[in-house]
Amino acid sequence: MSYACGGHDHSLSRRQMLGLLAGATGGLLAPNVARALQSKQRQVLMIWLDGGMSQLESWDPKPGTDHGGPFRAIPTSIPGVHVSELLPHSAKRMHKLAVVRSMQTKDNSHSIGVGRMHRGDPVNRGVDYPYLGSALAKLMDKGESGLPPYVWIKPGSSGFVANHAGFLGGRYGALALGDGRPPTHLQQGVETELEQARQELRRAADARFKAGRGEADVDAWEGCYDSALKLMKRKELFDEGAVSRQDRERYGNHPLGRHLLQARRLLEAGVLYTQVTSYHWDTHADNFAMHQELMPQIDKPFAALIDDLDTRGMLDNVVVILMSEFGRTPKINQRWGRDHWPEAWSMALAGAGIKKGVVVGKTSPDGAFVDESPFDVGHLFHTVFRAVGINPDTTTYKHNGQALAIARDDMGPMQEVLA
Amino acid sequence: MIALALALLCSLQETSSDADFLRRLTLDLAGTIPTSDKARAFLADPDPAKREKLVDRLLASPDYARRMEQAITVMFLERRNGGKIPDAQWSDYLKKAFTANEPWDKIVRSMIATDGRAEETRPAMKLLADGAGGDPNRMTNDVARLFLGRNLLCAQCHDHPSVKDYKQAEYMGLYAYLSQSKLQDDPKTKKAVLTETAATAKVEFASVFSPGKKHQTGPLLRGGEEIEIPAFEKGKEYEQPPAKGSPGIPKFRPRELLAAALVRHPQFARNSVNRFWFIFMGRGIIHPLDLDHKANPPSDPALLDSLTAGFVESGFDVRALVRRIVTGPQYSRGGKASPIKPLSAEQMAWSTMTATGNLERILRGPIPEGSKFTTKDYLSGKSQTPPSSLPDILKLFVAIFGNAEGEPEVGFQPSMTHALFLMNDRLVLGWLKPAEGNLVDRLSKVSAAAVADELYLGVLTRMPDAAERKEVASYLERNGKKLEAALGELAWALIASTEFRMNH
Repeated sequence: MSYACGGHDHSLSRRQMLGLLAGATGGLLAPNVARALQSKQRQVLMIWLDGGMSQLESWDPKPGTDHGGPFRAIPTSIPGVHVSELLPHSAKRMHKLAVVRSMQTKDNSHSIGVGRMHRGDPVNRGVDYPYLGSALAKLMDKGESGLPPYVWIKPGSSGFVANHAGFLGGRYGALALGDGRPPTHLQQGVETELEQARQELRRAADARFKAGRGEADVDAWEGCYDSALKLMKRKELFDEGAVSRQDRERYGNHPLGRHLLQARRLLEAGVLYTQVTSYHWDTHADNFAMHQELMPQIDKPFAALIDDLDTRGMLDNVVVILMSEFGRTPKINQRWGRDHWPEAWSMALAGAGIKKGVVVGKTSPDGAFVDESPFDVGHLFHTVFRAVGINPDTTTYKHNGQALAIARDDMGPMQEVLA
Repeated sequence: MIALALALLCSLQETSSDADFLRRLTLDLAGTIPTSDKARAFLADPDPAKREKLVDRLLASPDYARRMEQAITVMFLERRNGGKIPDAQWSDYLKKAFTANEPWDKIVRSMIATDGRAEETRPAMKLLADGAGGDPNRMTNDVARLFLGRNLLCAQCHDHPSVKDYKQAEYMGLYAYLSQSKLQDDPKTKKAVLTETAATAKVEFASVFSPGKKHQTGPLLRGGEEIEIPAFEKGKEYEQPPAKGSPGIPKFRPRELLAAALVRHPQFARNSVNRFWFIFMGRGIIHPLDLDHKANPPSDPALLDSLTAGFVESGFDVRALVRRIVTGPQYSRGGKASPIKPLSAEQMAWSTMTATGNLERILRGPIPEGSKFTTKDYLSGKSQTPPSSLPDILKLFVAIFGNAEGEPEVGFQPSMTHALFLMNDRLVLGWLKPAEGNLVDRLSKVSAAAVADELYLGVLTRMPDAAERKEVASYLERNGKKLEAALGELAWALIASTEFRMNH
């Protein structure tokens, strides 16, 4: 039902890892990578603008063309590079980002596109691939925080979302924080003397049982209580009262701003992978008014986040991804909207392992197609794995005795964005 | 009895205590821990044959059918639910079958063959219709895994890369039995039926590694003979032709043939025995359960062969097989050699209700028609009202302790969700508040010296040792001012412990 606790499971996966390394199909992690990870824990923040942000109103403006729309392009902190005037704050941080303008993906429906993008568009091997967060929860060292490795901040309800984990099994699913709130049983928990007293009794009972039998099982079950208690002790991570007024103003008092601020705090606390999802980017009608309304909600907090990660030295450890399942049609429809467009769209990366201040790929003058360096989501997965220190060419999942590639084996990383 | 005598004689392995055996067996055959009264009576019984008598009593109890139904449902449906057959209909169907001790081959045959038209066997359709969603490939996978012990998933597209004898041709032969099947709504009855369309040709396939090389197969079970697809004159393929949107019934119905051939296949009995063994021992003689192949031999081939031969000879008598397993020497091992497995979601629910002394009250309570309780509302905090009826309580425990849909429940897979639930859930904490006749109420009324015994018997089905008695006494002494709360905390700690969480 939820993510793996410590103890038993962890040691098991370690053992499996060693077993795999000895095998012919390649290990889960090369040993030097594992060592490198231990020395510096890498983390990931995925910002997902569900529905599809328009590349023309963000990273790849085409002012003055037939499809360019009403907004101007403005200069950025990289000389000669322009973005839409709807990104004034991000424009000033452009020298810290890597923007890819040549995403070229396949599906133009949300239902297929979203899952396909989150799972890295695996070749059909008869199994459901994990979302990136579950994949990294499986493949990476979870660090010392004891916090859940995959936390998903989203509008709506809280809970444990098992199906993100695909064939890895529900334990690698996401802890979902609906509007930043923890699941109900966590909310109800109170760190009191009573709690300590009954936990002490429980631990004493477990210690006696462990001496008699079931050593691994005791460790596994104990690990779950430890994780639960650790998270209960960190309830300030879910308490918006704990953030400063300045921060709230810098990030904005709307869901996306609040959620990005919470994501920063979760990353600071040591969560391995945090995803922030914002809905309502599907602008089939009134694309321009909608983007005028929506873009500030990502621009300002995204810039604040990049600044905060940078001043805290965290941009060296954290990979930041800002993307949607696709972009929007250059052609403006009769309702002043833009429809789904997987053929040519943009996304941004920043942080650990990522080059600073580069713009990769080029679209045609009308923005309709990719002219240079087309990339699919398979390339993106390779890139993110590399950025966190995993080599997708030598790392495989093992499922039912079958070695499965962690990223499309007919693709490689976007070398141009890797530092 | 002979087996038990043998077990005692060749006690190279430590044998379980009476208390351990009672808890283990009651969980396995009745799906819950025993009450403290039952435990006290069993422990005090001087009869040397009391273990066999307990086996007989539990096998004859209605709880046995419920427990077997739950174990098989979890194993076969894996918490998947397409909603075509209501859960209650399926569990009633299985409970009846286990109560009557219907032969296992007959039970499985109806799961494969039924198209859902006959009311009597309609619930058996759930496995293929809801578990596998009526999809021919998923049905093929399920039949191969659950009844042949062979996970042929990889062989759908090519020969298995690492298991030599899992060939694509085997997958396709099985698939050919199921490729005509599909779920259709019958407009007359407004019910889904798992019909078959008329087969006209063999299944054609090619490996993804050599897409140019085409193969063909008709329905074929590994080691058997390929079934010839009969040729009918056009228009005469149907016994009852499709009409007005109503699905027809073809003359050639390969699923019925599959059902008959499957239960005669040697792999069927062997896999069934292995799966029943797993239910009681926590690990298959062949493990993983669905990877029976040459390079993964049984841990004890002679034992598996002997159990399999006995099962076939008995006419697939499940109760006799279960009796043989639980009276065998492996089952009654003790100490570190004890068979150990986690309590299922259902066993956690029943055992927590039993331990806290709330089961009888809940069983007596009404089951409201059209209850508004949903786990989604409750777990998202939208509704604050805990479930009160048994079916709703079970739903909640399954939502917490059950695996995700489609994930087999094998081995101990604990999660923080489980821990947070036991720590903070209103329902569980409510059960630990004193109410007429429940555990905390009983504890508050016995003498201080008797509290520890009643507590340990009620929750862990054993007597406390000296250190545990001392711990209880000292905790109560320190918390004398809030006795009932302290009793609840003591009980909580035992329910939350690994000793309670596992069947050992």
